[in-house]
Amino acid sequence: MHAPIPSPTLWLCLHLPRLPLESLTAETDTAVAVVDRKGPRRWLIACSEACAVHAIDAGQDAILALSRYPELKLLERSLKQERQALIGLAVWAEQFTSFASFDPRRLCMWMEVGSVLRYFGGLDPLLDKVRHGIHTLGYTAVIGVAPTPEASLLLAHAAMPPVTDLTKLGENLRPIPLNLLPIHPDEIASLSALGLQRLGEVLDLPSDALARRYGPEFIAYLSRLLGRLPDPLQPYRAPQRYRRRFECFGQIESYEGLLFPLKRILIELEGFLRARDAAIQRLQLVFGHERHDPTVLEVRSTVPTRDAARLFLLVRERIERSVLAAPVEEITVVARRLVPLGDTQLVLIDGGIGNNSGWTVLLDRLRARLGDDAVHGLELSQAHAPERAWCCVALDEKREAEPAPDPRHARPLWLLPPRELDTLPQLLGKPERIETGWWDGQDIRRDYYKARTEAGADWWLYREEPSGKWFLHGLWA
Amino acid sequence: MSGPVPSIRVVPEIPGVWRGRTAEQVQAVSTGIAALDAALPGHGWPIGALTELMPFTEGIGELRLIFPALRRRCQEKRSIVFIGLPYILYAPALVNAGLPLSRILCINTAVDDNRRWAAEQILREGSAGAVVLWSPVDADIPLRRLQLAAEAGKTLAFLYRPAKHLGNASPAAVRLGLHAAAGGIRIDIAKARGGSVRRSVVVCARALS
Repeated sequence: MHAPIPSPTLWLCLHLPRLPLESLTAETDTAVAVVDRKGPRRWLIACSEACAVHAIDAGQDAILALSRYPELKLLERSLKQERQALIGLAVWAEQFTSFASFDPRRLCMWMEVGSVLRYFGGLDPLLDKVRHGIHTLGYTAVIGVAPTPEASLLLAHAAMPPVTDLTKLGENLRPIPLNLLPIHPDEIASLSALGLQRLGEVLDLPSDALARRYGPEFIAYLSRLLGRLPDPLQPYRAPQRYRRRFECFGQIESYEGLLFPLKRILIELEGFLRARDAAIQRLQLVFGHERHDPTVLEVRSTVPTRDAARLFLLVRERIERSVLAAPVEEITVVARRLVPLGDTQLVLIDGGIGNNSGWTVLLDRLRARLGDDAVHGLELSQAHAPERAWCCVALDEKREAEPAPDPRHARPLWLLPPRELDTLPQLLGKPERIETGWWDGQDIRRDYYKARTEAGADWWLYREEPSGKWFLHGLWA
Repeated sequence: MSGPVPSIRVVPEIPGVWRGRTAEQVQAVSTGIAALDAALPGHGWPIGALTELMPFTEGIGELRLIFPALRRRCQEKRSIVFIGLPYILYAPALVNAGLPLSRILCINTAVDDNRRWAAEQILREGSAGAVVLWSPVDADIPLRRLQLAAEAGKTLAFLYRPAKHLGNASPAAVRLGLHAAAGGIRIDIAKARGGSVRRSVVVCARALS
């Protein structure tokens, strides 16, 4: 027996240059930009793609940008919202890694992937999955892969291909221009004054000389970059209960406006559930309003599911048939009870292939649109009173064994609320006595008859004892 | 998908195409009542088409009439969906009629549009054995939508409508007026796409067990 060889550490870094914008809105076809204050001036820090047409780009003064395109929509930066978005991303990323960490200041997230490469069939398939996920979440990301976190971020900034071998890391980083390093612009200026332009030239300098000039922090950074010192990165740990809040940057008044944040949240939730090998059957949506009580909606699924597309469909149907009291200021999605899954169920639960999946998806849609109570099954109950000898059952409830027919007690297909009769139709055959006592919660004594009306209809009647009154109770439809 | 059941006549057909009097072309499930089978094109309730049932009196066996076909669909492990029930569909009676309760699904919603929407979704999806819908609708477009949904999903589709609409035009493939008759039920065939042999059939009560 050989001990398994530990896989070399490898970091995947997602740099999200547009996070300030993308954490607030999904609008890309209109000119929108996020502004941040720096002293007395306001600067654009992230712009939608549509801004390019008007020669508006990140780094510009807000006044200048507005003079170029007065219709430009400006949003205030929200550090809180960016942090929420990164937490959501880290939760989503748990399906790929056991170590996710993020840096809100540098707009990036790291995932340790060295230990999971074999599970995902190598780096390329994993990168495909991550890229696809990021795209559906609605983010723009540049990916860097390297044996140290700092190097992976630097490769992302430089848009350079993955480096997986630690011994070749230094060599691969040499051509990176100095202005991409996370150091103060003054220090970059001072390095270029020495005639240095690329990282390789800095690495060739004796480190004590660098330390004297640029301080020990710069040396520590270079050591972490090259893996000579461990990185003190802290993993993000998601709580076991799923709860995600999204604050709307303005009030959302349209139903379509709710769909973008909800779609993103449900994709994150799928990642959360995949990481835990679990699914859910219930989801709670809470919409916060100004000066109104929050609207709380429950979404239920017939079978446990974690498929974001399927959950999205249910959520959409549920919202479509709800009336929201006021514009939405904040959305909270809560999944309380997770259903653990074995591997064998996966195909059915992830949707698509299972024999009945079309049917269960349909039932969920019906319930989401019409309400849970609107769709139900039927069951017998033990009560003697005919009106209580049956009950409705929810679709996801466990069913009793199929009851056997009882040919001695014929029953009509339609049961009506008892209606007192003034005139009696022609009675057919012998009566059936139905009696219940106080133990049944209701004291009744009735003689039931089948009867035929002049129009040729068959009725189910009873004479109530001791009052002797006659009631219509059913139709032999 | 269930395997071929010998008692069902499965003949390939293009739904919605008028076939004159070539009755054999209609794909159908036997009604379980020989006299009625003989009078209907395809010898049964048409699959992938709308069947309208219009009782002139309630309580004459108008619902039991379709039970033999529903039982057969349950045996194929398919569900029966009842939508917009006018009264309580009494579970003990269903058990006595041989319909397994685990195959019965009820959809109750106050708005007729929602009932028809649900019926359309279920018909279109095609897994259900039969959809039984009650609706007061009397406009061409909603009826046509139901007919198209039944065609798309190749499902049995029964629509109970008020008898006063029997005289109005409808895109349904089969339209039956149901009357009380001595000892049973009289079925007037108002329309049968694919041709009908007889105009009126009387079914005795015993046949509607």
